[in-house]
Amino acid sequence: MSDLIQYLFNGLVVGSIFAIAAVGISLLYSVLRLVNFAAGDFLTLGAFITYFLSVTLELNFFFSIVVSMLAGMGVSWFLELVLWRNLRRNKAGTLALFLVATGVALMLRPIIQFLFGTETRKFNVDIFKTYDFFGARIAHTQLLVLIFASASILTIALFISKARIGKDMRAYANNPGLASVSGINVDRVVLATWLISGALGSLAGVFQGLVQGQFNNAMGESLLLSFFAAVVLGTIGDAYGALVGGMLLGLFMELSQLSIFFGGVPSNYKPVVAFATLVLVLLFKPEGLFGYRARKV
Amino acid sequence: MQAFVQPGFWVFVLALAGIYGIFALGLQIQYGVGGIMNFGHVGMMAVSGYSIAVLVIKYQWSFWWAAFFGVVLAAFLGALLGLTTLRLSGDYFAIASIAFAEITRYWILNTDSVTGGTQGTLAIPSPSGFGGYTDQPDKILTWISDLLYPIVGDEASRDMAMIFIVWPFLFLLILISSRLQQTSWARVLRATREDDDVPRSLGKNVFRFRLQTLIIGSVFGGIAGVFWALQFALLAPEDFLRIVTFYGWMILILAGATRVKGLIIASIFFGFLYGSTRFLEFWPLSLLSSPERAYLRVFLIGLVIVLLMVKRPQGLFGKRQEMVLE
Repeated sequence: MSDLIQYLFNGLVVGSIFAIAAVGISLLYSVLRLVNFAAGDFLTLGAFITYFLSVTLELNFFFSIVVSMLAGMGVSWFLELVLWRNLRRNKAGTLALFLVATGVALMLRPIIQFLFGTETRKFNVDIFKTYDFFGARIAHTQLLVLIFASASILTIALFISKARIGKDMRAYANNPGLASVSGINVDRVVLATWLISGALGSLAGVFQGLVQGQFNNAMGESLLLSFFAAVVLGTIGDAYGALVGGMLLGLFMELSQLSIFFGGVPSNYKPVVAFATLVLVLLFKPEGLFGYRARKV
Repeated sequence: MQAFVQPGFWVFVLALAGIYGIFALGLQIQYGVGGIMNFGHVGMMAVSGYSIAVLVIKYQWSFWWAAFFGVVLAAFLGALLGLTTLRLSGDYFAIASIAFAEITRYWILNTDSVTGGTQGTLAIPSPSGFGGYTDQPDKILTWISDLLYPIVGDEASRDMAMIFIVWPFLFLLILISSRLQQTSWARVLRATREDDDVPRSLGKNVFRFRLQTLIIGSVFGGIAGVFWALQFALLAPEDFLRIVTFYGWMILILAGATRVKGLIIASIFFGFLYGSTRFLEFWPLSLLSSPERAYLRVFLIGLVIVLLMVKRPQGLFGKRQEMVLE
């Protein structure tokens, strides 16, 4: 029983981080038809900037997180101006977008390594402080992450459904042609999408760094496919779906370790649970949980 | 800069170029002919390379049978990947193929008793207590290198002998691939790249044609894995990260999607880029430490991919309309 609570709780924490990262990827896909292979490295970037500000420069932790989110937005904005805008004008195809996103990831990683080094880092928080909850051990950092991540998820969901630019985004994603003739500024929508995904990337990176306790510059990259799994599970391009998909995937990955499932999946196979989920969803329900087979996949 | 005038450096570049040329040729058949975006190609190289190591070290097979088995296994996995996921549209298949390669790598990483796990193939349990698998081919490599000795003197090396094995294979495979591209089989495939419905209306089974392309490409990836295993004589899971697939894609887009000749030049360029970053010692790169310069390689490969796709999506030798299609 305490095992169940433990894994359930871990799953909620992991899932909320997946949800935040996945919603950025899904929004970008819905608006730009771009699979963002660089998303993982944006997490790493956010975590390392926050580390630099809060540990090396000893600034306030929350202030550092905000600055790292701004930095994530800044990098995304820069890339939109110099790269993605040109590619859209040139009517770049799927392969070109894929490869450019990968190229960006390949460039971002060495830059992070060069700026912040390759050592393992940890935030200036007590990672050993735990609470006892019905026999489950709940780390202080996990609890913090769960609270703040849930708040972020609610904010994101409200933003997409209520804010003007959020509505514009959904309209544009649904029907780009119709959206632009009805007066929606396309460049503004695209830019907003990049800014949101940049900010969310950094935020997810900080959360992930907190939960892991310590992290290195391979952190985001190694999670990328899990995010894709969350996105595809929640229907690619559906922002709310990505939130749900992220939560579900986090729960799957943690609960798969329970001994009732074939004696429990060993914890070092957790990523494989994510990959297998990805492949199985692609095989049997490529439209995801919330899609219908409107378009040929 | 001294390293660049040493023949040993260029010999290494050429050996590497040959191996990755074969690897990229597999991608070229898949994308250039069949329009398949395979981002998990590295899995085929990992599978055949590791098959050799495991079969020779653990089960005492002969290297040649192990190599043959490795390539067959790569083909088999290509078929498995295709049968399960090739019906998906382009971007979905690309993601699925990455997942496939990553699952392969995780399996290698976590099956210590078979693959040596994180320690690499040296840690494979062996009845003879020795974790090497290249004894048999090494005899041939030594023989070639001895033959070269009267001609090139002390420059004769294992790397140079590798060139004499890999490059004939590369040319042979290029020949096969060019022949394939002129067949009616390839014409059907090129038609499916543009539009599925036309070839389908002519009674062609589009899926079967694509599957065949994927399998042939996987065989090429498997052959590249054999040479990779031979060249480095030691395999570890981190040799088969996602990025290796993109080494192949860089060669492919540099060459152009269907340009067989461009592939040779692009492979040599890649080999140079891969091998040279350690030796670039002029300012401002001299400010970087040696391991930092190794990351420079990754950065440059990313940069080449981005610049090519933005400025010249058809590659240096390709046709524009073949690269920009959806």
